Amino acid sequence: MDISQAVDMRNSLRANRVIMAYNGAVSDELMVTLADLLKHRMLSNDDPRRSKVVFSVFMEAVQNLIWHGRDRESPAGMIMIAEDDEGVCVICGNRISRTKSTELGHRLEQLQNADKDTLRQLYREGMSRSADHEGPGAGLGLLEIVRRATSPISFTFVDVDDDSVDFVLAARI
Amino acid sequence: MSELNIEATERTPAITLSGPPWRLSLSGESYPEDVSAFYGPVILALDEIVASAAHAMRAELSLVYINSSSIKALYRIFEGLDLCRQKGQRIEVCWRHTEDDDIMQELGEDFQERFPELTILIESQ
Repeated sequence: MDISQAVDMRNSLRANRVIMAYNGAVSDELMVTLADLLKHRMLSNDDPRRSKVVFSVFMEAVQNLIWHGRDRESPAGMIMIAEDDEGVCVICGNRISRTKSTELGHRLEQLQNADKDTLRQLYREGMSRSADHEGPGAGLGLLEIVRRATSPISFTFVDVDDDSVDFVLAARI
Repeated sequence: MSELNIEATERTPAITLSGPPWRLSLSGESYPEDVSAFYGPVILALDEIVASAAHAMRAELSLVYINSSSIKALYRIFEGLDLCRQKGQRIEVCWRHTEDDDIMQELGEDFQERFPELTILIESQ
């Protein structure tokens, strides 16, 4: 990348009011560093309620990426937080196996269409569900994201190769 | 034997357990790297208390942020408290959240709904 490309990229980030943008491997260590940064940024925010929700959605989304990532060292992770007139958008992505994506897609479609009361009920049930298969939170993290988002979440799977896809999830707060 | 005194870190809460009569307190943030390793001793200590002679217990929970995998561990803690109650012991849980923190308030309500027979008071500060 030359300097003019870097400036173009910076301009694009500015135009989209991006607060945070990360591309590369997602690890627990990175999550803690970014969480710390976000926390400090939020201290100066005049809407503590929204800040707290942004923090919570960010944490669950990143933990989800870490857990479901096909390869812990995979450099395909992405994290973006951008502002717009209506609020903040948290967008996270990581490479997952194609098999996993089918199941995840179905689950997310169900959650997208669920109303607030149904989500809360699912959440309450999820609090005690065993963590055997779906990661340490057994699906509770996704529910937390969907529940806190101010509009339905959006997601996409980007083809990579026969075995893998990039999973990207966006939640508006 | 079951006493605990764990200092808070940026990502784990301070935990104290003393008694009898038992008093358990958790305060701060909770997003440990290894949830089972962090909460294991607390769950173990509660299991010992459940197995021991009857004593009252008061639990004070003042959490600022808790991730979903820590909620699972907290659920286990509530199960321990509920087992103590089932053995006829007086158990009181005080769930504190800061004013306007509806996330933590709702989580307190979620625990109330899951443990209807446990006395859980939700306090806003």
